Amino acid sequence: MNDRTSALLAFLAFVTALVLVPQPIGGQTTSGTRQTTGGTKSAGARATAKKTAPVQRTPWGDPDLQGVWNDATSTPLQRPGDLAGKDVLNDEEAAEFQEQTAHGLTRDRRDGGRDADVNRAYNEHWMDARRLKITADHRTSLIVDPPDGRIPSLVPLSPERQKARAARADANARFNAGMPNTFHDMSLPVRCIIRTDSPPYLPTIYNNDFHIFQSPGYVAIAPEMIHSARIIPLDGRPHLRGDLQQWLGDTRGHFDGPTLVVETTNFRADDGVVFQGANPATYRITERFTRVDADTLNYEFTIEDPMTWTRPWTARIPWTKIDPGEQMYEYACHEDNFDIVHFLTGARAREKRGETVGPRPAGAAAAGER
Amino acid sequence: MRTKLFGVAGAFGLLVGTTMPALAHHAFNAEFDANKPIKFQGTITKMLWVNPHAWIYVDVKKPDGTVEEWMIETGTPNTLLRRGLTKESLQAGTQITVDGYQSKDGSLRANGRDLTLPNGQTLFLGSSGTGAPDEIKPKK
Amino acid sequence: MADGHPDLNGIWQAFVTANFDIQDHEAQPGPHPEIMGAYGAELPGQSIVEGGDIPYQPWALAKKKENFAKRMTVDVSSDKTWHASGDPELKCYMPGVPRATYMPLPFQIVQGSSPYILVAYAFTSATRTIRMNWKGDAPTDAWMGWSRGRWEGETLVVDVTGQREETWLDRAGDFHSDKFHVVERYTPASPYHLLYEATIEDPKVYTRQWKMSFPLYRRVEKNLQLLEFKCVPFTEELLYGKFRKPNGDVK
Repeated sequence: MNDRTSALLAFLAFVTALVLVPQPIGGQTTSGTRQTTGGTKSAGARATAKKTAPVQRTPWGDPDLQGVWNDATSTPLQRPGDLAGKDVLNDEEAAEFQEQTAHGLTRDRRDGGRDADVNRAYNEHWMDARRLKITADHRTSLIVDPPDGRIPSLVPLSPERQKARAARADANARFNAGMPNTFHDMSLPVRCIIRTDSPPYLPTIYNNDFHIFQSPGYVAIAPEMIHSARIIPLDGRPHLRGDLQQWLGDTRGHFDGPTLVVETTNFRADDGVVFQGANPATYRITERFTRVDADTLNYEFTIEDPMTWTRPWTARIPWTKIDPGEQMYEYACHEDNFDIVHFLTGARAREKRGETVGPRPAGAAAAGER
Repeated sequence: MRTKLFGVAGAFGLLVGTTMPALAHHAFNAEFDANKPIKFQGTITKMLWVNPHAWIYVDVKKPDGTVEEWMIETGTPNTLLRRGLTKESLQAGTQITVDGYQSKDGSLRANGRDLTLPNGQTLFLGSSGTGAPDEIKPKK
Repeated sequence: MADGHPDLNGIWQAFVTANFDIQDHEAQPGPHPEIMGAYGAELPGQSIVEGGDIPYQPWALAKKKENFAKRMTVDVSSDKTWHASGDPELKCYMPGVPRATYMPLPFQIVQGSSPYILVAYAFTSATRTIRMNWKGDAPTDAWMGWSRGRWEGETLVVDVTGQREETWLDRAGDFHSDKFHVVERYTPASPYHLLYEATIEDPKVYTRQWKMSFPLYRRVEKNLQLLEFKCVPFTEELLYGKFRKPNGDVK
């Protein structure tokens, strides 16, 4: 197959990496410290909890979410077409689904020809092992609403937005062909500006870790990639005024029973800041964090943008506590990002040899860049 | 033999309309040439335990006696650190076999598709998360 | 805090001009004064180094001056010399410890009831985790180092090892090696001040241990928060502009 198709498939293969189940290596670890105060009912406990337990609380009374958490899973964000109508699998089906998905995702395969092989770099031990397991509740998609488990359809986009999407798709195509014009042809993650720290938090191939810190009046969520922290005030203060925009937006939170409810606004208008080319001015994301037991937290997000999707949509991803046995480590990115130069100098060398990028096939490269 | 309950087209069916992950990783065959597979043995001179990719420097002796210095691109070191490895886990002087693909621009750079030690063991596979560093020392 | 230790939560900032130069420094023109005029000039300040001078070994003093002379020289065309010159701050690399403490931007401490304290810096959204009473060593080097904390009375003592050798201490080219070892002390001096001290040693670079100190001030504005200073986009033209397609897209 030609370069571009294989590049597309490889690119999509990485996209698959949204789904892996948390499964601690070497058995369950429990957190090092636990502060509990007596008997608070866990109002609104998630249905996935085996039984409701009293809410763990910090000494100042907030539900305790502190610790290092991992969100890897192989369950896809969207329900696969051939599982339409099946939101949950029975044990036998789940085992098969997990096996097939793991076979599709594993990096240790060497079959499928050289194009597939080069794109599978690197072997499984460089990847997050938890990403080969589906969620414990055997759902067929992380999306729980709409009921079909799929992202809702798009509303008609303005010509301006369609043009912007096409331009980004062209840049992606140049980049995937190894012929970027400038660093602008590369995505925000490749440029090390934002990665999995941009909400919503979605599982990926590795470093699926989040460190939650709390203090009176604050929750801070520090994702591994790229070393940032969302420090969320809980005191009810208003958002920043609309003229201040940030790459990770501006976040406010409050506790609703055991659940931390988090709302983020004030996103920058650059490509890739909000989900899949949504409209930053009308995009809204609400996230909910609920600890269901000592080692599990449910992360749920709802995204809506009437200028992009026909309706809001919601996904739920279980997080597993991994500390103290496993830690999150610094993910410096820009500091040693040699590949930016490799891509650019490589493109210039190949241009000198007369190579060019062909026209982008219609429909290639999914609409919009995160 | 168990009958398949679901079509494996699902594997790519999963992907249709799926979101781009925040880590929209580059397609490796954009940088490394599927038509230029390489496989050689060499001596590790150093390893850079850096993100977004760790790099292993390998000296490769050519038949004519000259030495080429290759840079091998690997994954994120953080995964290895969580399994108990440290920057001491791969020492200079270690012999290694690199099975990968050379950079499209022809430079002495490759992605390390399979990295093995002389005894056939996959590099870094050993540690099982016990927390004990997995030391890989050069053969004396 | 409930555990009896001082509460260091809050947004803090240093008001020394040590990021230009941690030793005595007069006002002076900065880089490209013919363009930048007074905007780019370096602000004056008194040394935060106790005793005044950093005790460099002779070779290291020469190296510091070379660093300063090349602080604006950026060349990433070769991986091997990627870090050979240029102030890492200029390139928006994480500043390391202690420099992050006296960058001219605030930072926030989030101290709770877990074994970890978060310090989040506005500069390039850098973060570090202080692991309290932690035995394990740094598994590899990090730009913000590996921080282990403990309480000594009212003082948070933080032992920092495992820092990338490429970090600088200021724009004047002050530097260290991979044997850099910093012990910080954060001591409440009033409800609105911390006294910050950092004892520094590096047997490859300095002739002895030395120390810096200055106050940290609590930012007290209502509803203040750290605003992003994600400076990577400000450096891409500097770092990568020369590799663009000739006569290609400007953007």
